[in-house]
Amino acid sequence: MIAAIKDKWFKFKYKLIFFLGVLGPGIISANADNDAGGITTYSVVGAHFGTKMLWILLLLTFALAVTQEMGVRIGLVTRQGLGGIIRETFGVKLTALVMSLMLIANMGTVTAEFAGVAAAFGIIGVGKYIAVSVAAAFVFLILFKGSFKTTQKIFLIFSFFYIVYIINGFVIGPDFGQAFKDMVTPTIEWNAVFLLMVIALIGTTITPWGQFFIQSYVVDKGMDIQHYKAEKVEVYAGAFITNVVSFFIIISTAATLYKYGIRITDAGDAAAALEPLAGHLAQFLFAFGLFVASMLGAFILPTATAYAICEAFGWEDGFDTDWSRGKYFYSIILITIILPCLVVLIPGISLVNIMILSQDINGILLPFVLLFVLKIINDKSIMGEYTNGFWSNLVAWVTIIGIIVATVVLVISSFFVFS
Amino acid sequence: MVYLSHVLGSKILDSADNVVGVLDDLVISPKSGEYAPVKFLAVTLVKEKKEVFIPYDYVDDFSKEEVSLNTLFRKIELVKAVSPKSVFLDRDVLDQQIVDVSGIRVVRVNDLRMGKVKGKMCVFGIDISTRGILRRLGLEWMDVFGWFKVNFIDWTKAHAIRGELKLSMGSNELDRLHPADLANIIEDLNIQHSSNLVQSLDVKDAAKVLEEVEPKLQKILVKHLGPDKASEILSQMSIDEVVDLMKSLPREDARVFLSHLRGAKMKNVEKLLLYPDDTAGGLMTLDFMSVSPDVTVGEVIAEIKKQSSKFRFVLYVYVMDAEDKFKGVVSLRALIVSNPSKKISDLTDEGDFHKGSTLKVNDDIDEIMEVMTKYNLFTAAVLGEDGKLLGIVSIDDVMRHLVPNA
Repeated sequence: MIAAIKDKWFKFKYKLIFFLGVLGPGIISANADNDAGGITTYSVVGAHFGTKMLWILLLLTFALAVTQEMGVRIGLVTRQGLGGIIRETFGVKLTALVMSLMLIANMGTVTAEFAGVAAAFGIIGVGKYIAVSVAAAFVFLILFKGSFKTTQKIFLIFSFFYIVYIINGFVIGPDFGQAFKDMVTPTIEWNAVFLLMVIALIGTTITPWGQFFIQSYVVDKGMDIQHYKAEKVEVYAGAFITNVVSFFIIISTAATLYKYGIRITDAGDAAAALEPLAGHLAQFLFAFGLFVASMLGAFILPTATAYAICEAFGWEDGFDTDWSRGKYFYSIILITIILPCLVVLIPGISLVNIMILSQDINGILLPFVLLFVLKIINDKSIMGEYTNGFWSNLVAWVTIIGIIVATVVLVISSFFVFS
Repeated sequence: MVYLSHVLGSKILDSADNVVGVLDDLVISPKSGEYAPVKFLAVTLVKEKKEVFIPYDYVDDFSKEEVSLNTLFRKIELVKAVSPKSVFLDRDVLDQQIVDVSGIRVVRVNDLRMGKVKGKMCVFGIDISTRGILRRLGLEWMDVFGWFKVNFIDWTKAHAIRGELKLSMGSNELDRLHPADLANIIEDLNIQHSSNLVQSLDVKDAAKVLEEVEPKLQKILVKHLGPDKASEILSQMSIDEVVDLMKSLPREDARVFLSHLRGAKMKNVEKLLLYPDDTAGGLMTLDFMSVSPDVTVGEVIAEIKKQSSKFRFVLYVYVMDAEDKFKGVVSLRALIVSNPSKKISDLTDEGDFHKGSTLKVNDDIDEIMEVMTKYNLFTAAVLGEDGKLLGIVSIDDVMRHLVPNA
């Protein structure tokens, strides 16, 4: 009897320790989605369109959960990154295509991160030339001399700052009834402004880099298929949590800005949404959150990009290779930091627009990456018994087709606007 | 001399210059240590839209734009299927990871260089350079400054790991690599490739390699290999390594693997499983040589010669009486310099053994290090409460505990 209880306790303890141990990829990846581009996009969505787009966010929660889970599953089964599998399955030409698309999307996102740094410092009155240069130098220093993992953890912990949005949401006492109603009633406006925002919303929630990131994370951590069930739960939880935060950012700006017809033109406007909770400190709080979120992305993205490309093309990677052997690896990191910084430093460029448009680029390129993921995950010779079920395929296809339709309509409608 | 990327997709013409089909792939049957001649062309026929194999003997000229045959198409004896051991260059080698045996690293195949060796069309170089990627993309012209140099690995110095391929292809030198280097290579491969690689080694080598693989990959690998194959390898591994591995597995899995191990080995593993990881009991191994105090130096040396292959290393022999009570240690050096007729008990009395220089099962890692450092020991004896010799801790075990990922 006692032995039986003891055995049960052991099993439970094992499961608990195990669960806490893998409390990682899903949450981290989803949390990193709330980066500079994310926080700005959600703020603008709420400020300019109220709660009208919440139904898309609801659908996106399922889509995010499903696509991230697919990334995890491929990683667990093959123990290889997405770049490597694409190369082995589709050959060098298609690989070059996907990798270029990913590079463009990621550069866009890094640009958003540095725009976020500039915007955050703009709030406290520091010029963008100083802020971005120092931030870029700091990123270099940590990547090449410091501990990437520790820094990543620090920023990750700070990024839980988003919880203030949830508290703030309750303090404002917004119209939850309306919010939930909008969540289940699809509304769409067939104009470029609306559609551009929809694509940005999709592209900031589900990202091409997120697919690469979560898969290599699983491989790096040495997880195997036995962890699959726990990992699935964790990924779903991650998707849910991150979109709860997004939900509260949207209803916060909807209740504070949209209601009074205030449009967001710089980060300071978005910060005003936190005033019900933080009062005068709202600006500082928002600046801090934006800075931390931006830095987290600025660390992860260049490195993730370099790893994926090097894996696909068979170049040596990792910070333990020396400069001559790892020249491609280091060059990619340098370029993905320097070019975006230069874009942000163009005099007079709108930081908010950078952050939103970069998410649009991500959204438009996402279907291509997802198509490759779908092809791989339905390939029996790669996935064995772990190919996709009906529902995963359905959700993935709806996501892909949804984005493509929105993009096509956007292109057509923008012709009407300008002609 | 041609590249595979140039000929794939080229037209196949027969002797009357009629287009027969399009080249899909080249088929070889590789032999270790030799350049592999092309055996068949895999061709999609223009008319019937199906894939057939044309023996390479029918090829007249093999160049960049087209492949011309030396007979009329209707006279060719087409082959419907090739041996499953055949290797398809495009499907199985191009774009895959291979092991560069001389560079001891994993690289990706960007292109294959082919040419005549002893009158036969063979693959002889594996292009791993960025120039190879540009060539495949049709972008070679972009390299106007000649920045990208071609970089080849000799076919016979490479080792492919895809699918069913085992050591049969390219290199047979893989097993000459140091186990630690092979372990690093395995860590760079995906799970399918790494488990193929492990299976292609003979069991003893596989055991040595598996010991060197980092713990988290180790447990994934054994599970991927399955209990039968894994336990074959486990039974060749040193007991303490098996114990560490079993500890890292969930209990049910460990039980399955243990049940596949035979007799004495399993009992010993189970015994060691009882001690916590970071104590002398958890770190110790049972691979040591013990002798009775009554035998002579000459007899011990003869015994070492006889049993040497069983042990990873023999630095000391441990002296135990009939009740397994620990009586002291004798170093290899003491044995060599002593008179062969001398009794072992005389040597232990001469002071090779200090009371403080042994460990107790519950000693933690700090205590272990202190004892080993103080007495300059490469291995230290672990004693039970009753003074019985239970096992030994080697400096290697301590290092591995401190630096698990090396």
